[in-house]
Amino acid sequence: MIKKLKLFFKEMFFIFNVKKSVKIGLYGPPNGGKTTLANKICEDWIGEEMGVASSVPHETREVKIKESVVIKSRGRELKFNLVDTPGISTKIDYEDFLSHKLDVKEAKQRAKEATKGVIDAIKWLDNMDCVLVVLDSTKNPYSQVNITIIGNLAARDIPVLIVANKIDLKRSDIKKIEAAFPQYPVIGISATKGNNIEDFYEEVFKLVKRR
Amino acid sequence: MPHKCVRCNTLFVDGSKDLLKGCSNCSGKFFFFVRKEALEKAEEIGNRLTEEEKIQIERDALEIIGSDVDPDAPIILDLESINIPSSGKFELDLVKLFRGEPVIYKLEEGKYIIDVAQTFKNLKGKK
Repeated sequence: MIKKLKLFFKEMFFIFNVKKSVKIGLYGPPNGGKTTLANKICEDWIGEEMGVASSVPHETREVKIKESVVIKSRGRELKFNLVDTPGISTKIDYEDFLSHKLDVKEAKQRAKEATKGVIDAIKWLDNMDCVLVVLDSTKNPYSQVNITIIGNLAARDIPVLIVANKIDLKRSDIKKIEAAFPQYPVIGISATKGNNIEDFYEEVFKLVKRR
Repeated sequence: MPHKCVRCNTLFVDGSKDLLKGCSNCSGKFFFFVRKEALEKAEEIGNRLTEEEKIQIERDALEIIGSDVDPDAPIILDLESINIPSSGKFELDLVKLFRGEPVIYKLEEGKYIIDVAQTFKNLKGKK
Protein backbone atom coordinates (compact mmCIF):
# COMPACT_ATOMS: atom_id res chain seq x y z
CA MET A 1 0.00 0.00 0.00
CA ILE A 2 2.80 2.40 1.00
CA LYS A 3 4.68 1.45 -2.18
CA LYS A 4 1.57 2.20 -4.27
CA LEU A 5 1.13 5.56 -2.56
CA LYS A 6 4.80 6.42 -3.15
CA LEU A 7 4.45 5.52 -6.82
CA PHE A 8 1.28 7.60 -7.08
CA PHE A 9 2.94 10.68 -5.58
CA LYS A 10 6.06 10.16 -7.71
CA GLU A 11 3.93 10.07 -10.87
CA MET A 12 1.90 13.09 -9.77
CA PHE A 13 5.13 14.98 -9.04
CA PHE A 14 6.46 14.00 -12.46
CA ILE A 15 3.32 15.20 -14.26
CA PHE A 16 3.27 18.43 -12.23
CA ASN A 17 6.93 19.11 -12.97
CA VAL A 18 6.56 18.42 -16.68
CA LYS A 19 3.76 20.96 -16.87
CA LYS A 20 6.21 23.64 -15.65
CA SER A 21 7.58 23.85 -19.21
CA VAL A 22 10.67 21.66 -19.18
CA LYS A 23 13.48 23.03 -21.37
CA ILE A 24 15.36 20.44 -23.39
CA GLY A 25 18.50 21.79 -25.08
CA LEU A 26 20.26 20.42 -28.11
CA TYR A 27 24.02 20.84 -27.68
CA GLY A 28 27.08 19.62 -29.50
CA PRO A 29 29.80 20.44 -32.00
CA PRO A 30 28.90 21.90 -35.42
CA ASN A 31 27.48 19.53 -38.05
CA GLY A 32 26.46 16.85 -35.56
CA GLY A 33 22.84 17.15 -36.68
CA LYS A 34 21.24 19.23 -33.90
CA THR A 35 18.96 21.20 -36.23
CA THR A 36 18.18 18.11 -38.31
CA LEU A 37 17.07 16.36 -35.10
CA ALA A 38 15.12 19.45 -33.97
CA ASN A 39 13.38 19.46 -37.36
CA LYS A 40 12.64 15.74 -37.11
CA ILE A 41 11.05 16.18 -33.65
CA CYS A 42 9.03 19.21 -34.81
CA GLU A 43 7.94 17.54 -38.05
CA ASP A 44 6.86 14.39 -36.17
CA TRP A 45 4.85 16.19 -33.50
CA ILE A 46 4.00 19.69 -34.74
CA GLY A 47 4.13 19.21 -38.48
CA GLU A 48 6.57 22.03 -39.18
CA GLU A 49 10.34 22.56 -39.35
CA MET A 50 12.29 24.44 -36.68
CA GLY A 51 15.29 25.79 -38.62
CA VAL A 52 17.50 25.45 -41.65
CA ALA A 53 20.00 22.58 -41.62
CA SER A 54 22.93 22.47 -44.04
CA SER A 55 26.30 20.86 -44.61
CA VAL A 56 28.05 24.23 -44.14
CA PRO A 57 29.39 24.40 -40.56
CA HIS A 58 27.76 26.89 -38.17
CA GLU A 59 24.48 27.11 -40.10
CA THR A 60 22.67 27.72 -36.79
CA ARG A 61 24.13 30.88 -35.28
CA GLU A 62 21.29 31.88 -32.95
CA VAL A 63 19.54 30.05 -30.13
CA LYS A 64 16.07 28.96 -31.35
CA ILE A 65 13.15 27.85 -29.19
CA LYS A 66 10.09 25.84 -30.13
CA GLU A 67 7.58 26.04 -27.30
CA SER A 68 5.08 23.42 -26.17
CA VAL A 69 6.29 20.41 -28.13
CA VAL A 70 4.19 17.40 -27.07
CA ILE A 71 5.50 13.90 -27.75
CA LYS A 72 3.69 10.64 -27.02
CA SER A 73 4.97 7.16 -26.27
CA ARG A 74 3.23 4.10 -24.78
CA GLY A 75 0.15 6.08 -23.83
CA ARG A 76 2.14 8.81 -22.04
CA GLU A 77 2.51 12.46 -22.98
CA LEU A 78 5.51 14.74 -22.53
CA LYS A 79 5.36 18.49 -23.05
CA PHE A 80 8.55 20.54 -23.31
CA ASN A 81 10.23 23.54 -24.89
CA LEU A 82 12.86 22.50 -27.41
CA VAL A 83 15.96 24.72 -27.58
CA ASP A 84 18.26 24.37 -30.60
CA THR A 85 21.68 25.94 -30.04
CA PRO A 86 24.60 26.91 -32.30
CA GLY A 87 27.40 24.35 -32.59
CA ILE A 88 30.14 24.75 -29.99
CA SER A 89 33.73 24.85 -31.19
CA THR A 90 37.08 26.10 -29.93
CA LYS A 91 38.17 27.62 -33.22
CA ILE A 92 36.18 29.41 -35.90
CA ASP A 93 38.11 30.31 -39.05
CA TYR A 94 36.46 32.08 -41.98
CA GLU A 95 38.81 30.23 -44.37
CA ASP A 96 36.97 26.97 -43.53
CA PHE A 97 33.82 28.46 -45.08
CA LEU A 98 35.45 29.48 -48.34
CA SER A 99 35.27 25.91 -49.69
CA HIS A 100 31.47 26.10 -49.23
CA LYS A 101 31.11 28.74 -51.95
CA LEU A 102 31.04 31.72 -49.59
CA ASP A 103 33.06 34.81 -50.49
CA VAL A 104 35.54 36.31 -48.00
CA LYS A 105 33.10 38.96 -46.74
CA GLU A 106 30.30 36.42 -46.19
CA ALA A 107 32.72 33.94 -44.58
CA LYS A 108 34.05 36.56 -42.14
CA GLN A 109 30.52 37.61 -41.23
CA ARG A 110 29.59 33.97 -40.65
CA ALA A 111 32.67 33.46 -38.43
CA LYS A 112 31.71 36.51 -36.37
CA GLU A 113 28.10 35.36 -35.93
CA ALA A 114 29.22 31.81 -35.15
CA THR A 115 31.51 33.09 -32.37
CA LYS A 116 28.64 35.04 -30.84
CA GLY A 117 26.52 31.90 -31.24
CA VAL A 118 28.96 29.82 -29.17
CA ILE A 119 28.87 32.39 -26.35
CA ASP A 120 25.05 32.49 -26.45
CA ALA A 121 24.78 28.68 -26.44
CA ILE A 122 26.95 28.50 -23.32
CA LYS A 123 25.01 31.33 -21.62
CA TRP A 124 21.79 29.39 -22.24
CA LEU A 125 23.08 26.24 -20.56
CA ASP A 126 22.01 27.39 -17.08
CA ASN A 127 18.39 27.60 -18.30
CA MET A 128 18.27 23.96 -19.40
CA ASP A 129 16.52 21.22 -17.46
CA CYS A 130 17.83 18.39 -19.66
CA VAL A 131 20.28 18.23 -22.54
CA LEU A 132 20.57 16.11 -25.65
CA VAL A 133 24.21 16.08 -26.73
CA VAL A 134 24.12 15.39 -30.46
CA LEU A 135 27.29 13.82 -31.84
CA ASP A 136 28.21 12.67 -35.33
CA SER A 137 28.80 8.93 -34.81
CA THR A 138 31.18 8.78 -37.78
CA LYS A 139 33.63 11.09 -36.01
CA ASN A 140 36.07 10.59 -33.14
CA PRO A 141 34.17 11.39 -29.92
CA TYR A 142 37.34 12.18 -27.91
CA SER A 143 37.41 15.88 -28.75
CA GLN A 144 37.99 18.89 -26.53
CA VAL A 145 34.53 20.25 -27.37
CA ASN A 146 32.68 17.01 -26.49
CA ILE A 147 34.60 16.52 -23.24
CA THR A 148 34.05 20.16 -22.22
CA ILE A 149 30.32 20.08 -22.91
CA ILE A 150 29.71 16.77 -21.15
CA GLY A 151 32.06 17.61 -18.25
CA ASN A 152 30.24 20.88 -17.64
CA LEU A 153 26.81 19.29 -17.82
CA ALA A 154 27.96 16.79 -15.16
CA ALA A 155 29.23 19.66 -12.98
CA ARG A 156 25.83 21.36 -13.28
CA ASP A 157 23.89 18.11 -12.55
CA ILE A 158 21.91 18.46 -15.77
CA PRO A 159 20.62 15.09 -17.03
CA VAL A 160 22.21 14.15 -20.34
CA LEU A 161 21.27 11.85 -23.20
CA ILE A 162 23.96 11.38 -25.81
CA VAL A 163 22.49 11.09 -29.28
CA ALA A 164 24.83 9.26 -31.66
CA ASN A 165 23.53 10.61 -34.95
CA LYS A 166 24.13 9.49 -38.55
CA ILE A 167 23.95 5.73 -37.82
CA ASP A 168 22.82 5.23 -41.42
CA LEU A 169 26.37 6.03 -42.57
CA LYS A 170 28.94 3.26 -43.02
CA ARG A 171 31.62 4.81 -40.82
CA SER A 172 29.20 5.18 -37.89
CA ASP A 173 30.57 3.72 -34.64
CA ILE A 174 28.23 4.01 -31.62
CA LYS A 175 30.42 1.75 -29.50
CA LYS A 176 33.23 4.28 -29.66
CA ILE A 177 30.89 6.96 -28.25
CA GLU A 178 29.65 4.57 -25.54
CA ALA A 179 33.28 3.79 -24.62
CA ALA A 180 34.17 7.50 -24.48
CA PHE A 181 31.28 8.42 -22.16
CA PRO A 182 30.39 5.21 -20.27
CA GLN A 183 28.51 7.03 -17.50
CA TYR A 184 25.83 8.36 -19.89
CA PRO A 185 23.04 6.73 -21.87
CA VAL A 186 23.72 6.70 -25.61
CA ILE A 187 21.06 6.27 -28.28
CA GLY A 188 21.96 5.76 -31.93
CA ILE A 189 19.69 7.40 -34.50
CA SER A 190 19.60 8.85 -37.97
CA ALA A 191 17.78 12.18 -37.75
CA THR A 192 17.67 12.40 -41.54
CA LYS A 193 16.29 8.91 -42.20
CA GLY A 194 14.37 8.51 -38.95
CA ASN A 195 16.19 5.30 -37.94
CA ASN A 196 15.53 4.23 -34.33
CA ILE A 197 13.52 7.40 -33.67
CA GLU A 198 10.84 5.60 -31.60
CA ASP A 199 13.51 4.36 -29.16
CA PHE A 200 14.91 7.88 -29.08
CA TYR A 201 11.55 9.31 -27.95
CA GLU A 202 11.37 6.63 -25.27
CA GLU A 203 14.83 7.74 -24.04
CA VAL A 204 13.64 11.36 -23.93
CA PHE A 205 10.89 10.31 -21.49
CA LYS A 206 13.53 8.61 -19.31
CA LEU A 207 15.79 11.68 -19.54
CA VAL A 208 13.10 14.05 -18.26
CA LYS A 209 12.29 11.66 -15.42
CA ARG A 210 15.92 11.79 -14.23
CA ARG A 211 15.91 15.55 -13.57
CA MET B 1 53.14 18.86 -21.05
CA PRO B 2 50.86 20.57 -18.47
CA HIS B 3 47.19 19.71 -18.05
CA LYS B 4 44.29 22.03 -17.33
CA CYS B 5 41.23 20.98 -15.31
CA VAL B 6 38.09 21.43 -17.41
CA ARG B 7 35.97 22.45 -14.43
CA CYS B 8 38.17 24.86 -12.49
CA ASN B 9 41.00 25.65 -14.93
CA THR B 10 43.76 24.63 -12.48
CA LEU B 11 47.02 23.70 -14.20
CA PHE B 12 48.86 20.51 -13.33
CA VAL B 13 52.34 19.48 -14.42
CA ASP B 14 52.81 16.35 -16.48
CA GLY B 15 52.79 13.21 -14.34
CA SER B 16 50.89 14.88 -11.50
CA LYS B 17 48.95 12.50 -9.23
CA ASP B 18 45.89 14.71 -9.67
CA LEU B 19 45.56 13.42 -13.22
CA LEU B 20 44.86 9.96 -11.82
CA LYS B 21 43.02 10.85 -8.61
CA GLY B 22 41.09 13.88 -9.86
CA CYS B 23 41.65 17.60 -9.45
CA SER B 24 42.74 18.51 -5.89
CA ASN B 25 40.82 21.78 -6.18
CA CYS B 26 37.38 20.65 -7.45
CA SER B 27 37.58 16.82 -7.79
CA GLY B 28 37.00 17.15 -11.54
CA LYS B 29 38.33 14.34 -13.67
CA PHE B 30 38.46 15.93 -17.06
CA PHE B 31 41.71 17.62 -18.11
CA PHE B 32 43.04 19.21 -21.27
CA PHE B 33 46.52 19.24 -22.67
CA VAL B 34 47.98 22.70 -22.82
CA ARG B 35 50.67 23.41 -25.36
CA LYS B 36 53.08 26.23 -24.60
CA GLU B 37 53.91 26.53 -28.32
CA ALA B 38 50.30 27.55 -29.05
CA LEU B 39 50.59 30.54 -26.73
CA GLU B 40 53.85 31.67 -28.27
CA LYS B 41 52.39 31.30 -31.78
CA ALA B 42 49.41 33.50 -30.87
CA GLU B 43 51.79 36.22 -29.71
CA GLU B 44 53.72 36.01 -32.97
CA ILE B 45 50.53 36.44 -35.03
CA GLY B 46 49.56 39.47 -32.96
CA ASN B 47 52.86 41.14 -33.78
CA ARG B 48 52.46 40.48 -37.51
CA LEU B 49 49.05 42.19 -37.88
CA THR B 50 48.77 45.42 -39.84
CA GLU B 51 47.07 48.48 -38.33
CA GLU B 52 44.16 47.99 -40.75
CA GLU B 53 43.71 44.38 -39.64
CA LYS B 54 43.82 45.40 -35.99
CA ILE B 55 41.08 48.00 -36.56
CA GLN B 56 38.93 45.38 -38.34
CA ILE B 57 39.46 42.95 -35.47
CA GLU B 58 38.37 45.61 -32.99
CA ARG B 59 35.21 46.20 -35.02
CA ASP B 60 34.52 42.44 -35.11
CA ALA B 61 34.90 42.13 -31.35
CA LEU B 62 32.67 45.11 -30.66
CA GLU B 63 30.03 43.74 -33.00
CA ILE B 64 30.08 40.37 -31.21
CA ILE B 65 29.75 42.01 -27.79
CA GLY B 66 26.95 44.28 -28.92
CA SER B 67 27.15 46.39 -25.75
CA ASP B 68 28.44 49.85 -24.92
CA VAL B 69 32.16 49.49 -24.39
CA ASP B 70 34.59 52.32 -24.99
CA PRO B 71 37.01 50.90 -27.59
CA ASP B 72 39.61 53.57 -26.74
CA ALA B 73 39.93 52.41 -23.14
CA PRO B 74 42.12 49.30 -23.08
CA ILE B 75 41.59 46.89 -20.21
CA ILE B 76 44.55 44.71 -19.47
CA LEU B 77 44.05 41.37 -17.77
CA ASP B 78 45.95 38.12 -17.58
CA LEU B 79 43.23 35.97 -19.03
CA GLU B 80 41.07 35.82 -22.08
CA SER B 81 38.15 33.79 -23.28
CA ILE B 82 38.31 34.68 -26.93
CA ASN B 83 41.38 35.29 -28.99
CA ILE B 84 41.11 36.89 -32.42
CA PRO B 85 44.43 36.15 -34.14
CA SER B 86 43.30 37.89 -37.33
CA SER B 87 40.10 39.20 -38.89
CA GLY B 88 37.51 36.43 -39.31
CA LYS B 89 39.45 33.96 -37.11
CA PHE B 90 38.35 33.23 -33.56
CA GLU B 91 39.77 30.94 -30.88
CA LEU B 92 37.51 30.26 -27.93
CA ASP B 93 38.52 29.13 -24.45
CA LEU B 94 35.53 26.95 -23.70
CA VAL B 95 36.61 26.28 -20.11
CA LYS B 96 36.39 29.97 -19.22
CA LEU B 97 33.20 30.48 -21.18
CA PHE B 98 31.51 27.53 -19.45
CA ARG B 99 32.64 28.80 -16.06
CA GLY B 100 30.76 32.02 -16.77
CA GLU B 101 33.85 34.15 -16.41
CA PRO B 102 33.78 37.61 -17.98
CA VAL B 103 33.85 37.42 -21.74
CA ILE B 104 37.13 39.03 -22.68
CA TYR B 105 38.34 39.55 -26.21
CA LYS B 106 42.06 39.63 -26.77
CA LEU B 107 42.68 41.86 -29.77
CA GLU B 108 46.44 42.00 -29.68
CA GLU B 109 49.09 41.87 -27.00
CA GLY B 110 48.11 44.13 -24.14
CA LYS B 111 44.76 45.22 -25.53
CA TYR B 112 41.51 43.59 -24.45
CA ILE B 113 37.81 44.33 -24.58
CA ILE B 114 35.46 43.07 -21.88
CA ASP B 115 31.77 42.36 -22.31
CA VAL B 116 30.78 44.55 -19.36
CA ALA B 117 27.07 43.72 -19.48
CA GLN B 118 27.76 39.99 -19.27
CA THR B 119 30.33 40.46 -16.51
CA PHE B 120 27.82 42.24 -14.31
CA LYS B 121 25.23 39.57 -15.08
CA ASN B 122 27.69 36.88 -13.99
CA LEU B 123 28.49 38.74 -10.77
CA LYS B 124 24.78 39.12 -10.00
CA GLY B 125 24.24 35.41 -10.57
CA LYS B 126 27.02 34.47 -8.14
CA LYS B 127 25.57 36.51 -5.25
